[in-house]
Amino acid sequence: MEVSWVELIKLLISTGVCWTNFVLIDTYFGLPRKPGVLGAEVIGKTLEKMGGDLNGGYFMGNIVCSPDASAGTLMAAIFYYLLGFKGGLIATLLVYIGNRLCNDPGYAGTFGTFSATVIIHLLSGFIEPRYFIGGMIMAIFTIQGLYHVGASKVLGYIGRKLGMI
Amino acid sequence: MDAVLLLIGVISFVVGLRVFLTKNRVQRLLYLCCLNFAISALIALYIKSPMGGVVAAAYFIGSTLSSNAIAHTIGKVQRLEGRGEW
Repeated sequence: MEVSWVELIKLLISTGVCWTNFVLIDTYFGLPRKPGVLGAEVIGKTLEKMGGDLNGGYFMGNIVCSPDASAGTLMAAIFYYLLGFKGGLIATLLVYIGNRLCNDPGYAGTFGTFSATVIIHLLSGFIEPRYFIGGMIMAIFTIQGLYHVGASKVLGYIGRKLGMI
Repeated sequence: MDAVLLLIGVISFVVGLRVFLTKNRVQRLLYLCCLNFAISALIALYIKSPMGGVVAAAYFIGSTLSSNAIAHTIGKVQRLEGRGEW
């Protein structure tokens, strides 16, 4: 089994694209500002007690508790990979339903799915949609799986820089 | 087996191990969230048909709903007990 450099570079680029897409859209729709549901508040306060950032913790809690733009990007990548551009639109509808099921009043997930579909469509000439699936997993791993305290600080910093908190 | 599958496999293995190693219940929920992402991606990559996408979406929305319910319950319990320690 050999892994070529081209594949690795494609994976890295798609990771960057997915990370930027969902962090910017979620921050813009106010995920770090307030916890949408009670569960997100618990996660934010826990991370603050551990030495992290409260607003970054709210951001991570909102990702766990409701399908936001990160879930939307993954769904868009999966459905684009399987069904093409139409699939992205189906994914948008599914994420919209998921948002309503989780009592989330926001539209971050719906908008994030649509923008991810458009971005994947524009880049599909250079990077195949399957790399975006891997890239999104890599992106969510850097936030939810690597080092929570540090990730919450980075997310809080970005939210403050964009003036959304 | 290619780079994408290998990457997702390694990530889900690492995160799955950390779910068992961490003591903090809230952090465990965050690792589980990452694991759910990885599993629904693997479902879609292995079942290369529209039905695979439906299964992945159903799994993903279901797991998000249950994470939502668990986090909500942790919050409620802590409010009932009225303690500051999480």
